[in-house]
Amino acid sequence: MIELKNIDKYIESRFQRIFILKGVNLSIQEGEFITLMGPSGAGKSTLLNILGLLDEDYAGEYFFGERNILNMKEKERSNLHKSEFGYIFQAYHLIDELTVYENIETPLLYRNVSSAERKSIIAELLDRFKMVAKKDLFPAQLSGGQQQLVGIARAIAGRPRVLLADEPTGNLHSGQAKEIMEVFKELHAEGTTIIQATHARENADYGTRLINLVDGRIESDERI
Amino acid sequence: MWKNYLKISFRNLQKRKLYTGINLLGLTIALVSFIAISLYIHHEWSYDRMYSDYERIYKLNQEFTSEGQNQLVGTSPSSLPITLREEFPEVEKATLVFDLSIFSSVMIDAGAGNQEEKRYAMVDENFLDVFDFQLLAGQKGKLWDEPNKLVVTEETADRLFGNVSNAVGKVIKVDGQEFEITGVMQNFPSNSHMDFDFLASFQTHRHGKNPQWSPSNYYNYVKLREGTDVVAFESKMAQMVEKYLGADQKEYGFQTAFYTQPIAAVHTGDPTLNRIKPGTDLKYLYIFGVVAILLIAIGIINYVNLATAEATERNKEVGLRKVMGADRFQLFGQFVSESFILTLGALLVSLLVIYLLAPFLVNLGQVPLSLDLLASPLGIGFLIALALLVGLLAGLYPSLILSGMEPIKALGNKIKMGGGAWVRKSLVVFQFFVSMGLLISTFVVKAQLDFMKEVNLGYSKERLVAVSYPYESRSQMPTIKAELIRSGAAIQVAQAGDMPIHIKAGYKMFPGGDNQSEFMITGYSVDTDLINTIDLELVAGENFSESDIKRSDLEDGTEEFPIILNEAAIRQMGWNSEEAIGKHVNLGYMQNSLIKGVVKDFYFNSLHHEVGPLAIFNDPADASVLLIKIPEGDPSKHLSTLAGIWAKLVPGRPFNPVFVDSAYNNLYQSEQNSSAVFTLFSGIAILLALMGLFGLVSYVALRRTREISIRKVLGATGRDVLGVLAIDFMKLLGVSAILAIGFGLWFAQMWLKGFANQTEVGVTPFLISIGLVFTLAILTIGYRSWKVFRLNPAKTLKSE
Repeated sequence: MIELKNIDKYIESRFQRIFILKGVNLSIQEGEFITLMGPSGAGKSTLLNILGLLDEDYAGEYFFGERNILNMKEKERSNLHKSEFGYIFQAYHLIDELTVYENIETPLLYRNVSSAERKSIIAELLDRFKMVAKKDLFPAQLSGGQQQLVGIARAIAGRPRVLLADEPTGNLHSGQAKEIMEVFKELHAEGTTIIQATHARENADYGTRLINLVDGRIESDERI
Repeated sequence: MWKNYLKISFRNLQKRKLYTGINLLGLTIALVSFIAISLYIHHEWSYDRMYSDYERIYKLNQEFTSEGQNQLVGTSPSSLPITLREEFPEVEKATLVFDLSIFSSVMIDAGAGNQEEKRYAMVDENFLDVFDFQLLAGQKGKLWDEPNKLVVTEETADRLFGNVSNAVGKVIKVDGQEFEITGVMQNFPSNSHMDFDFLASFQTHRHGKNPQWSPSNYYNYVKLREGTDVVAFESKMAQMVEKYLGADQKEYGFQTAFYTQPIAAVHTGDPTLNRIKPGTDLKYLYIFGVVAILLIAIGIINYVNLATAEATERNKEVGLRKVMGADRFQLFGQFVSESFILTLGALLVSLLVIYLLAPFLVNLGQVPLSLDLLASPLGIGFLIALALLVGLLAGLYPSLILSGMEPIKALGNKIKMGGGAWVRKSLVVFQFFVSMGLLISTFVVKAQLDFMKEVNLGYSKERLVAVSYPYESRSQMPTIKAELIRSGAAIQVAQAGDMPIHIKAGYKMFPGGDNQSEFMITGYSVDTDLINTIDLELVAGENFSESDIKRSDLEDGTEEFPIILNEAAIRQMGWNSEEAIGKHVNLGYMQNSLIKGVVKDFYFNSLHHEVGPLAIFNDPADASVLLIKIPEGDPSKHLSTLAGIWAKLVPGRPFNPVFVDSAYNNLYQSEQNSSAVFTLFSGIAILLALMGLFGLVSYVALRRTREISIRKVLGATGRDVLGVLAIDFMKLLGVSAILAIGFGLWFAQMWLKGFANQTEVGVTPFLISIGLVFTLAILTIGYRSWKVFRLNPAKTLKSE
């Protein structure tokens, strides 16, 4: 499904190039649940951003399906981005001014989903994550775990095939973290491709494949 | 989608109360100014466009050439409209208006005794055919067809008779003569250049039945048929002049030409052409228009600056939305909708404010602000266009900046002070440039006004009052003068043709002898007491004496008229003051005039004009004003004493004293208005700019709270912190100041060009203006930095 070929990402400084990613080759099949691990600064987030089309400033080739991303037009890339990817952040990144309901609704608005359809999708998600009673609350009124659930609901509202999660449990205590990971497992079982970056080894056990990154290189890549 | 945009916009505006408040208030003030000025400009612009086919109506003016000097006058002879009607097929209608108020007021008795009325004119029977004002009562064609018929306006009818229907058929006395009221017409609209209460039939006038080619005292108007070539019409009038005036022109060596002025151009046209109502200089309309645009620009800039400054705060939101699939256009829509909501809100508040302020604004602009106009389709269209334009201009740049942020950088908060810092800096420079520039202009306008009011005019106008008297009383004037002085409430009394502040009568001077070059001279008919009453300084010769006057009264062909000239007249003839004494010249009809004395030049017109040649001659019979010098002490007491004597000696004419110095100040009404308007505008501009500055400083202070706290921990005082925050802004204001000085120099030159006698502007206006704006800016910054400085560093640093 996704094919990265010889990806380099670097920053030009005055005397040398500092590589964040170097010679990364990666092939991801539909339905995999991949965990990226590695120390801080290993390039986990950068790799996620490149996979999620948020960062286009790199060398190498990126194929999504049969198509080379770099050869796509801006509009096509943007459509691909909208239709295929969902994002979950360590700091939840909900919009403070919007209610739970409206946060989940936002990506649907940008996808021009009709009003009736939006309502049914959001109702289903609220029900699934048991947040119906909280739909009119603002993010600040929720606990961290609840906020991240909203974050996940928002990420999957658009029915993406690929879910990208950057340290999704980094700000949560273990009980909440476990709950989130169970949700991931469920989503994976339903067929969603998931790629998560994490520091916590125990999270990797929910996945099917573990990739270790060190200094911008893939050090190991194993099936679990 | 739009519902969502609106919801988010509302919540954002609610959350940032300070910014929303500043923007709302700023835009409201700017919009109120803009709408009020627009209404004023529209009013001035709409003058005389209410008559049907106004494009075909023209006022007839006259160019008078004699000895290479030409003079434009706004009046023409009484024969003109009749001749045009009879001999010119292209003339559809022609009418005459004789404005008596330029000569004197009339006394009207509508049953309750004599009252002085000033807005009185005579018109011929074609008046309503050219100017289709509404006739509320009376029969067209029978209004002015005979002498002693009179039409009043609705307001006058209400005032004198209680209502319109009561008025028709009533007989009133005008200066003792009986007139029948034949009709009531609508009030003259405020945007008509005509404004009268009474319109009498011109048939009453001695030239009414017997029109003449001289004098040229009448306002004449024509309505030309459709498709008439105006240039051809004017050259046809030239042939008419040749036919009727050709012989006179040859004999007296003058030339006259009539030309047309479109009726809609009268109000804003050449100010030297006389017209019924004082006009408005187009220059002022342009200045006001520019100022209106500048004020709204400052309001918009406040929004732009605050919105881009707070872009940093909204990085995260923008980044998230992009990650969730928002494209640039969708984000742009969201941010622009915020500025539209704000503009719309400000517009609604503005309309309320204008509604409440309307009575005060009327006084300021001297014109009624038509709120109905705002409710008309044109007005609503204007308001909608204004809101759209302001909303778009305010929202465009910040929305582009915000929607253009890259999501990863935005989420990582890696952007420093929001994009476009140099744009914001230039905008701040522009705002303060405008504020300082307007303030300097205000001081320049005021300096010239003060100069004109306080300059030594060359005569004494303190404690000098003028009272006009009727023609019939002139023979008793010597007695009346003596009685007034005997009462102790008058020190000196003199008869004069006019107040010395603005002497109007024009004469022709023939120096005679070998000096053949004639020239125009202003004539002042007075009595022997004038020189002493207004303290004119004689530099040579002496005042008129009784024996001089006796010689001028001889009617045997040897009469000799004593005159006193000013220095300008003497210079014109190439003499010095001493050698002029005793010479004979011809002044108008006074063929044998003896120069008795020379007075030092004094200003007998507004200071817009140079002091021209002036001849003072003894002719009390031609005078109509008493100039009375009252003693020190309570003026109202003296005046009531004088009024008591007056009532006994001049029955039928109320004692209406005018203080000459306040009448003099009234010559500068238009400058006074400009000064008031400039003061207001510059105040608004400064207020708006300071509000914007306050917002920006608040933003900077917030961003630098941590830095300031660290400095405080390290021992910085309040003043150090102020310096840290102020220095960047002071640099910008410095640039503004330099630009404003350049503008001020240009403005001073441009403004003073309109005055023959100019004040020295000096550096004071510049220093005061720039100093004032700097001080206010430092106070604004100081207030904000003090609030930050007072924060407890322990708390602010902990939160990091």
